[in-house]
Amino acid sequence: MADLTHSTPLSLTDRLEQEALAASAPSQSELMRELGVKPRPGWTSRLPQGLAAFVTNPKGMAGVIILLALVLFSVLGPVVSEYNPNRRAGKPHVMPGYEHVLGTTRMGKDVFTQLAYGGRVSLAVGFGAGLAAAAIGLAIGISAGYFGGRIDDILTFFVNVVLVLPGLPLIIVIATMVEQASPLVIGVVLALTGWGWAARTIRTQTLSLRTREFVLSAELMGEKKWRIILVEIFPNMLSFVMGGFVLGTIAAILAEAALEFIGLGDPNAVTWGTMLFWAQNNLALQSGAWWEIWPPCIAIMLTGAALVLVNFAVDEITNPQLKASRRIGRIRKFLQRRGRSADVF
Amino acid sequence: MAFLLRRLAFYLAAFFMAVTLNFFIPRMMPGDPSARIIASYQGRLNEAQVQAIREAYGVTGSLWEQYLSYFGSVLRLDFGISTVQFPEPTASLLFYGATWTLVLVGLSIFFAFVIGSVMGIHAAWHRGGFFDSFFTPINVMLNAFTPAIVALVLFYAFSLQLKWFPLGRAHDPSLMPGFDLQFIGSVLYHATLPVLSIFIVSFGGWHLGMRNVMINLLNEDFVILARAKGLSDRRVRYRYVARNAIMPQITALALSVGFLIGGALVTEQVFNYPGLGKFTFTAIQSRDYSFIQGQLLLLTMSVLVANLLSDIANVVLDPRLRKG
Repeated sequence: MADLTHSTPLSLTDRLEQEALAASAPSQSELMRELGVKPRPGWTSRLPQGLAAFVTNPKGMAGVIILLALVLFSVLGPVVSEYNPNRRAGKPHVMPGYEHVLGTTRMGKDVFTQLAYGGRVSLAVGFGAGLAAAAIGLAIGISAGYFGGRIDDILTFFVNVVLVLPGLPLIIVIATMVEQASPLVIGVVLALTGWGWAARTIRTQTLSLRTREFVLSAELMGEKKWRIILVEIFPNMLSFVMGGFVLGTIAAILAEAALEFIGLGDPNAVTWGTMLFWAQNNLALQSGAWWEIWPPCIAIMLTGAALVLVNFAVDEITNPQLKASRRIGRIRKFLQRRGRSADVF
Repeated sequence: MAFLLRRLAFYLAAFFMAVTLNFFIPRMMPGDPSARIIASYQGRLNEAQVQAIREAYGVTGSLWEQYLSYFGSVLRLDFGISTVQFPEPTASLLFYGATWTLVLVGLSIFFAFVIGSVMGIHAAWHRGGFFDSFFTPINVMLNAFTPAIVALVLFYAFSLQLKWFPLGRAHDPSLMPGFDLQFIGSVLYHATLPVLSIFIVSFGGWHLGMRNVMINLLNEDFVILARAKGLSDRRVRYRYVARNAIMPQITALALSVGFLIGGALVTEQVFNYPGLGKFTFTAIQSRDYSFIQGQLLLLTMSVLVANLLSDIANVVLDPRLRKG
């Protein structure tokens, strides 16, 4: 071990080298440019902090744009199309072309129209179930974390049971019993079985917030419990609720598609899942009618991918270390270029 | 030990909840399964025969008596009588299907967990680098593709178009099941695409989980101390950081078993693989209630066992839990 308190006088070459380094040191603007730091925050600085963090996150914005495009497509698609999604619109299995943009199904229904109408239902079920699951998770997670004691024990038990029970098999049982579950029933069942993760993360977060000074001072001032929960704790929880909502929506959209694909949904409802179900049942792949099966596949995959991108952004906002890790590659390269040790954490 | 006993008590309670749910859901719906069978004989049954069928399906007596007898039969692993193939017991088909599902889920969990975790370790260590910023988003997006679609794509490309893989079945029907090389080879050959499709939708989750936990750990004091001591990169990466990061992953692994089985159910349907999913699908179409209820119980049991195993693994890996 070298003795750090005792500094040896520098040799002349060492001093020269240091001065050369100092001369080549970058100006502040150069540094900012190289490290990808924007000089002025611009219009985003006027937004609330959480929103600004989201808007400046490229992954999150890409996800939001894809989602908006999908929503716009399902809202406007039926306006553009002249066909009825449930009626025969042409000959069976017409190739995509001028008359039918995405071709027709074996039943002669227009795939483009079905895709747009199906998007309305599938997205509504997915977002609805995700929102409901996040709300249930929020209510149970905050109550368990804030009230503690016996209430916490009981609620945590239920959270763990919901987490442990296998979701899809349970939904299969419920859906079979209600015979041909409509999209609404599927959404309700998914919301009731999908809140476990949200409740767990929100409970942990509440536990750590509960002992903070601002909550304590609100308690000392004699604030009512519901007011402390709503006004003091809840705003600090928004990104976790958002995370629960995004993850819940992904799970709900995928599960809805899976359930309808295996034939548990109402086959007369038009959703992306039932489109897949009919395509598979009519052996669309085997008979070469790729346009019957790929459009709903691509729509579901795009939705999933967009939500994952949004979730990346939410993760980076709740956990700044993940965001910092994005810059580290640049910093490392920058140091290497300047001949410094690139051994940074 | 106290930790494991506490967990065991919870799993028993959870199992109790699952059985109770499974008992009450069908009874909340109008009609009972035996009514279908009785109706299918169109009044050709006398009183005693009707009574016998109702007893066989456990729908006689008060609700409480029914519940107790249902619980007893579940504990004996007796899943009742098929409501479609009337006198057949459900258990035999259930266990046959479960074996093949276990092959699929076991293989895909193994590959997904190992490959995903290794990629996550690599991404976290070189965070912000090319590997991290390229593969992390892609792997996680694959995670959001439903198994149904990935299975369809693979089936279309490799079974229908290129004809590299078979169109169905778990093994070559001309082979006798046994522990010889030819049979195992045939099983693996038939399982390749189903396993691959479950693998594709699940390894991204392990990648992201491992990466995020590792990044949080990399700034901890013990890691900085390990590096300051001059330990090799390899040692710090695997013995110090990865070992700590893997523990929450193992807990998540056990919880994900239920999700993966759900994925396997759909995948089997696409590949015509004779697992639980394909039989559940036929059961759904023919409304074979006892099979559908049986699959839920069997899968719940396997998820609970997986969770217990993960607790044991955590106790082995984490000395702190051994004291508590």
